[in-house]
Amino acid sequence: MTSDFSTAAATPQGMPDQISQDIGASQIRFKAEAGQLLLFLPTTTTVDIDWQVLLQHLQQRLSAGNRFWQPHTPVHLISGDRLLDARQLQLIADTLAEAQLPLQWVHTSRRQTAVAAATAGYCLEQSTPQLPLRSATPTGSALADPLYLQTPVRSGIEIRHPGTVVVLGDLNPGGAILADGDILIWGRLRGVAHAGASGNLQCRIMALRMEPTQLRIADQVARAPEHPPAQFYPEIAQVVSGGIQIIRASHFSRDLSLPLPKLSESS
Amino acid sequence: MGRIIVVTSGKGGVGKTTSTANLGMALARLGRKVALIDGDFGLRNLDLLLGLENRVVYTALEVLSGECRLDQALVKDKRQPNLALLPAAQNRNKDAINPDQMKQLTHTLAEKHDYVLIDSPAGIEMGFQNAIAAAKEALIVTTPEISAVRDADRVVGLLEAQHIKQIHLVVNRLRPDMVQVNNMMSVQDVQDILSVPLIGVIPDDERVIISTNRGEPLVLSEDGSLAGMAFRNIARRLEGERVQFLDLDAAYDTLFTRLRRLFSSPR
Repeated sequence: MTSDFSTAAATPQGMPDQISQDIGASQIRFKAEAGQLLLFLPTTTTVDIDWQVLLQHLQQRLSAGNRFWQPHTPVHLISGDRLLDARQLQLIADTLAEAQLPLQWVHTSRRQTAVAAATAGYCLEQSTPQLPLRSATPTGSALADPLYLQTPVRSGIEIRHPGTVVVLGDLNPGGAILADGDILIWGRLRGVAHAGASGNLQCRIMALRMEPTQLRIADQVARAPEHPPAQFYPEIAQVVSGGIQIIRASHFSRDLSLPLPKLSESS
Repeated sequence: MGRIIVVTSGKGGVGKTTSTANLGMALARLGRKVALIDGDFGLRNLDLLLGLENRVVYTALEVLSGECRLDQALVKDKRQPNLALLPAAQNRNKDAINPDQMKQLTHTLAEKHDYVLIDSPAGIEMGFQNAIAAAKEALIVTTPEISAVRDADRVVGLLEAQHIKQIHLVVNRLRPDMVQVNNMMSVQDVQDILSVPLIGVIPDDERVIISTNRGEPLVLSEDGSLAGMAFRNIARRLEGERVQFLDLDAAYDTLFTRLRRLFSSPR
């Protein structure tokens, strides 16, 4: 029954154009390192994001992940070549302060941002601006740390992450997750999920309840069937020859060692 | 300091203004001092629903520009002395006021009132940002339609990012007869997506249209309409009372439908 879902509905199409190659570079990113929290802002060379949107992302990430950070963990802001004025720095610091995270360091390659940060009393590290050509990520780079979110991904929210994404909550219709690695939804998957977005066909999408608007793995696309199944099981989507296939999670662990899992008719 | 509650939805035409007018009136009848703020600058109509159009002399904008005092702009309701309305300007657009000014107005009103209800405009642009700027709580109004629910989901996400965590759901214009034959989303379907606690369900009722056109909020009429009762119940729940939800199916119940409900598996 579950196999019908995939083979009948899998419609390989050309991939939408808007999927960028460097997927994480357009959103803010947190990284824990040696007891400190690094906050990366998207560089201006990739996508020009509205300041309001950026601040909303920051608030969403903070409320979705705050269980994992000790209060009063010092934060390093890696703003790269993004220009921040004193007011914007203050807004970032205020937002972090609401999550009880003190902003201590500012790393920037822009002189004006450096001046603003120094005036506001933050520790400062100014690097020389890099040429866009040289700052391009080298090919074959490793995936980033998994992103763990404890929040429903609601309509209008798009999570992009250059690694695996784990969501404790539902992915609602209208919401989207684009990950370079796997996507695990501990809840209902009703929106758009794109695993292996930079081209890795071996990535998988897992959900307790698969009712997706659309599933994508690398350059493969699948829609949900027109008539939803009567019963739902935890399921896993993966690419087999010819498209995206969905199998029940209980079958998956049995077939984990096999490269191409064969589905028994008993499902 | 009174409670500041924004009534919002994302999508237009789902009943934000009707809900604001009726809840304001219902709360005032419970003996609370209530101020309503029309947050829909440029397209005001809360005064129409309350039948107070011809009493508006000053608006929020005149208060902010110092042309009049706040108590001069407040329109006292003709029937209910506990209810007051701060009208919006009709002739300006939504950029005529900023979030800080809105906060200032709202906080001043909250000092003298038990409740400040803010009627938010549709959409998620500047007018919406103004409306939610000062709010501590939110009522999400939605109809059981996928487009309205999708927009409501987006708005819930934005409210959460603004640290408004006290969010309650009002499902408006439900038609139990259509839900029973699976032609309309049920309240449970709506809740599944939004995962926000329910505070009231208002059945579709043509008397709402009549009361709107007359400028007489439905909660005032004593004809025992279910919609009016549902609004009064929401007001009591806001007050912290535990009130049973209305059995909207009762009118359409036959032995057959009861049996079918009994046997249809709850999802």
